[in-house]
Amino acid sequence: MRTSLSEAPAERLPATALKSATAAPLRFGHALYLATNIAILIFLLAPIAIVVVFALNPAPFIQFPPTGVSLRWFEKFFASREFMHALVFSLEVAMLTTVCATLLGASAALAIARGNLPGARLVLATMLSPLMLPAILTGLALFQSYVLLDVGRPLWGLVAGHTLVTIPYVVRTTLAVLHNFDTRLEEAARNLGASPTRTFFEVTLPLIKPGVMAGAIFAFIVSFDQFPVSLFLVTPGSETLPITLFNYLKFDLDGTIGAASVVSILLAFLVVVALDRTVGLRSYVKL
Amino acid sequence: MANPADAARPSRRVFMKAGAGVGLGLLGAPYVARAEEPVLNITGWGGKWGDVMSAEIGPAFEKEFECRLRTDTALPFLPKLQASSHSAPIYDVLHTNSNEQWAAAGMGLVEPRIDARLVPNLADVYPYAVSDKIVGVSIFTSAIGLGMRTDKGYTGINSWKELWDRKYDGARGGYVIPVNSLGQCFLMMCGTLFGRGQTDLDAAYAALEKLKPIKLVDFTGAMEKMLLSGEVGLAVIHDSGIYRYDGQNQPIDFVAPSEGVLSLEQVLTITPGSKVKELANAYVNYMLRPDVQKRLAETVWYSPANKTVKLDAKYDAKLLTTPDKVSKLIQVDWKWYNERKDEIDSRVNRIFRA
Amino acid sequence: MSPAAQRPNGLALFIVPSALLFTLFFFLPIGLMAVMSLLTGNPVVMPHVAFTTRHYARIVNDPYYLEVIWTTLRIGLLTTGLALLIGYPLAHWMARIRSRAGHALLLMAVLAPMLTGIVVRTFAWMTLLSDKGVINQVLISAGLTTKPLQLMYNETGIVIGLVHIYVPFMVLTLTGVIGRIDERLEQAAENLGASPLRAFVEVTLPLSLPGILAGSLLVFALAISAYVTPILLGGFQIMTLPILIYQQISANFNIGFAAALGMMLLVISLVLVLLYNRVLGLVAGQPELQ
Repeated sequence: MRTSLSEAPAERLPATALKSATAAPLRFGHALYLATNIAILIFLLAPIAIVVVFALNPAPFIQFPPTGVSLRWFEKFFASREFMHALVFSLEVAMLTTVCATLLGASAALAIARGNLPGARLVLATMLSPLMLPAILTGLALFQSYVLLDVGRPLWGLVAGHTLVTIPYVVRTTLAVLHNFDTRLEEAARNLGASPTRTFFEVTLPLIKPGVMAGAIFAFIVSFDQFPVSLFLVTPGSETLPITLFNYLKFDLDGTIGAASVVSILLAFLVVVALDRTVGLRSYVKL
Repeated sequence: MANPADAARPSRRVFMKAGAGVGLGLLGAPYVARAEEPVLNITGWGGKWGDVMSAEIGPAFEKEFECRLRTDTALPFLPKLQASSHSAPIYDVLHTNSNEQWAAAGMGLVEPRIDARLVPNLADVYPYAVSDKIVGVSIFTSAIGLGMRTDKGYTGINSWKELWDRKYDGARGGYVIPVNSLGQCFLMMCGTLFGRGQTDLDAAYAALEKLKPIKLVDFTGAMEKMLLSGEVGLAVIHDSGIYRYDGQNQPIDFVAPSEGVLSLEQVLTITPGSKVKELANAYVNYMLRPDVQKRLAETVWYSPANKTVKLDAKYDAKLLTTPDKVSKLIQVDWKWYNERKDEIDSRVNRIFRA
Repeated sequence: MSPAAQRPNGLALFIVPSALLFTLFFFLPIGLMAVMSLLTGNPVVMPHVAFTTRHYARIVNDPYYLEVIWTTLRIGLLTTGLALLIGYPLAHWMARIRSRAGHALLLMAVLAPMLTGIVVRTFAWMTLLSDKGVINQVLISAGLTTKPLQLMYNETGIVIGLVHIYVPFMVLTLTGVIGRIDERLEQAAENLGASPLRAFVEVTLPLSLPGILAGSLLVFALAISAYVTPILLGGFQIMTLPILIYQQISANFNIGFAAALGMMLLVISLVLVLLYNRVLGLVAGQPELQ
């Protein structure tokens, strides 16, 4: 009559007298835990605050303390045809890459974890290898290959490069979920009469969704932010935002890049929220 | 005509057809025209140069020569050109500094000489622009010297050697030599300052060792910002990098050291495999036109190569616009430097490590 | 669940699309690079090229390049260790927090650095760490120091910047794994007399090892391939392998040598990854952790 541990609601077991004796150190430990985490959050968010401040500071270089509030950099950003085009293009490429990487990566993870592949370890290492090689070499290798094949630098070439460097994330996160997966759920389904296919679609896939979605988020963010692979594969007029920003930085170190960043954050949040609403990150939250 | 309506009907039909034809033609004309419009692939800088090129100069060229200009501003240019095939190069005109042009010419990626018959404005340029130290043609130049903050109490700066004074520790700025032509020029200057001449590498290396601590950047834009923010107080920079902030009340100034200023040329070359050579030559000629030269020179404070250009007074005062001023520019032997670049870079990387 | 002697099943076919992508867009191009590392020039554009091992000889014979490799690995290891130390508490909090809103806020806080973009993020750190940057300005005006602290233009700055970028990756990898550990296991340990700390060390931590492995591998691989951050925060005076590779491509036009350097980096990292995998697997009591 063992209930599956993963399925039962998370009730707390009744506390015993032993626990109250450890209450004071418990509270201190808990306070320390919170303090540490708050400090970490500050570390993570401080640079973003800086970026926002810089985006609003009218001086055309690094300046602290800021001398005022001005929207001129946002104006410059939105007025710039180059930046706008780059922003839209980056979003397009990221969307395409996310779809490809999620489909390919999740299926690869399933194959590795459950497919009884000969040399599964080697296959896994290979799937992760795009991360190991400096992406700039991957980009150059792809560029050289495209030149050899005389295909120019098409959009699919760029998406392929991005997919390569984002698949490892999807594979990694999906495998992490599969590793801790309680297979008795699938056994239970099959015991109840479901076919292997039905079990797969109605039990397995929904349960690995958190891992796949986490991977998809990674894929989107990494693609949107991708630099070295894009470096050789973009063409004039079709440049991704990081490339445009980096080039801009060579000539003008001003608040426009801060404005670009603020806009990117907001946009990317919208995308993540949209992903949540449509596909459901709620399952990610409800462990 | 027995029946005017009969006569009218076919002509109305004809008129409709003709109208439809013209309408479709008008709709389709842009596509047709665009399809036939030749495309000229060039490279260019960003920043102020890029702004004025894409807003004014570029469109004017496109209109006059009925073509489309595609500008690549994503550095680096040479590896991309290198990887593309000779018969279908990704650029028709390469715009970059002298050092890279020499490297490109050495690899057979660009034509070393511009044909004066196809680029008539070549006749009006200063000798330095087509000297034997140049491949292609230099359309602008600037002077590499020292930039300084005027609010730090620095006085009496008139020599390159000032940079080595210990009082600038923590305020000194320079370039990453392997990737930047100002840095490379500066290295050769060190040979002249402390040794037998530009080719005295040992003296240059010794001098560079003594230059530490120093803050390095890879591009002049970054150096400008370091000076503006006060991160450095005395740095190697070209005059354009300082003068372009004219009128903004920034506490920075340019010093032309007594030992001489080096020439940072903006050079154009044409790729041998270009399919639009006529247009490419037309572009080079266009960039040498006095009115185009004047506009660009006054936007980014470059010294024009065309000697017939008359700049406004305030530009004329500071830039190199007379044969006398121009003759003071020091041009370096890039062919010699590029032959040794690998070993120089290895050595310099070792010198400048934190 | 040992799949050792079982035959591939239908799911094995799911690897095919990825296999195709990898073969066409990864192995072939990388193979091309490997070949280029053994040639004297680029066969596409040069008429006569010959095979040579001089690129590899150059790396192996010169202690400078070994130093560059070691710098790269050292930065990678430091970044990974710090990212783990910083990322774990946050991942734990995120996994254990009960309120949905709280979780969503934490998720946004963790994602936000990743969404700023690498160029801008690095630039923000330059704003914080440079001599005239925020931290130094604050310290100087508070009288805590007279000369600016060298927080960038050195490895410290690079590690800070990289850790900041990669902590979110670590957190997001760990939080799923930690979340899947049943809290009642920890409570059971505590009820048996263990302090919360001991329960953590002896129950939670071991169970989160797959996440630790995954997160560390990810961060390490990214840290040793990083280009934008080390070059900007190191002030161009710290040479890592990706920076050297990029310099060789963009300023020396030595594709062959750059390819050879890249192959070295690839091989070294693969070896390290396999080692790490094996060691952590032993610690966790299994021969291999996937």
